[in-house]
Amino acid sequence: MSSRRSRGEVLKWILFVWIGVIIWAAFFYAPAAAGFKGQSSRIVFFHVPIAWVATLAFLVSCVASIRYLRTRSMADDVRAEVASSLGLLFAILATVTGSIFARIMWGSYWNWDPRETSITFLLLIYAAYFALRAAVADPERRASLAAVYSILAFVTVPFLVFVVPRIYWSLHPDTIINAQAKIKMGSRMFEVLMGSLVGFSGLFVWLYTVACRIERIRRRRQQEVL
Amino acid sequence: MKDPKRQRQLWYVIGGVLLIAFIAFGATSFKSNLTPYVSFGDAMSGHRQVQVAGELVRGSSSFVKGANELSFMIMNKHGEKMRVLYKGVKPGNFEDAKEIVVIGRYHNGAFYATQMLVKCPSKYQGLEKPGATSGS
Repeated sequence: MSSRRSRGEVLKWILFVWIGVIIWAAFFYAPAAAGFKGQSSRIVFFHVPIAWVATLAFLVSCVASIRYLRTRSMADDVRAEVASSLGLLFAILATVTGSIFARIMWGSYWNWDPRETSITFLLLIYAAYFALRAAVADPERRASLAAVYSILAFVTVPFLVFVVPRIYWSLHPDTIINAQAKIKMGSRMFEVLMGSLVGFSGLFVWLYTVACRIERIRRRRQQEVL
Repeated sequence: MKDPKRQRQLWYVIGGVLLIAFIAFGATSFKSNLTPYVSFGDAMSGHRQVQVAGELVRGSSSFVKGANELSFMIMNKHGEKMRVLYKGVKPGNFEDAKEIVVIGRYHNGAFYATQMLVKCPSKYQGLEKPGATSGS
């Protein structure tokens, strides 16, 4: 147990240093990209990994929900709930960073571009997940309804995150891995972006494990009170 | 008592059907509702405020400095052109713009834009001259 804890401690510090290096690299190692206003292209090193983490979190929630329906174990319900909440948090962050970028590059915080509309759908869909959870009092019923909903909700994610931006004309910059499956990015920028994707994924794993632990303790204490 | 295994299988089937129905519904209903950009034809026939996206026609723009009036043409995929008039401050990156979204209404042969959004041909490549970036 203690060796596991110290390993976690080491990983946490590695993550801390890694993210620190990425933030530094995003501003000082990678060059500003051509065609962008000023230094605004640097938001890509944060906006894209944030959006990726949101997608990853929704996937984790979907997998945990499928597991819950098979095992009926409350530990899986905790996983699904925590992953959904992190997904929603990161989706909100992606929306905010995107909106700031839109203001700088396009000239408007919000104009219902297909990208903006699709993220709104996504936010509403996962906000409804928590509304559903809040509406059901019985824990087991809540868990199974939420699990079914989470699976259904995830069906929309590939559409909203990957299909929509590739069908509609949008003001959004071209996706980095585009229809021709070619990476259109300078090598230094690509290195930083990849490093950031790894860093943010690590950040997600850390937040997820900590939040799961907290949620388990919270539920246990609630039961003790009852 | 019902056989729990059969009941479970039934639920899997119902779940699967719902999932497919949901995908189909999603795919069809999103298609028309997701984009705010209307075609040139729709913009010209209606009098509502709309958003129109198009390619900026090179060399078609002129700017009257005193009146703050910008005039240019945008072109759609079929090569049709539309004249746009915009009153206001010219966006800083207008000169580099490749594609433009104009928000406003059409009347009397031109599109009167109240707002303009600019899409620049941005690429995630460093600037040509490295010296140009180090001015922080």
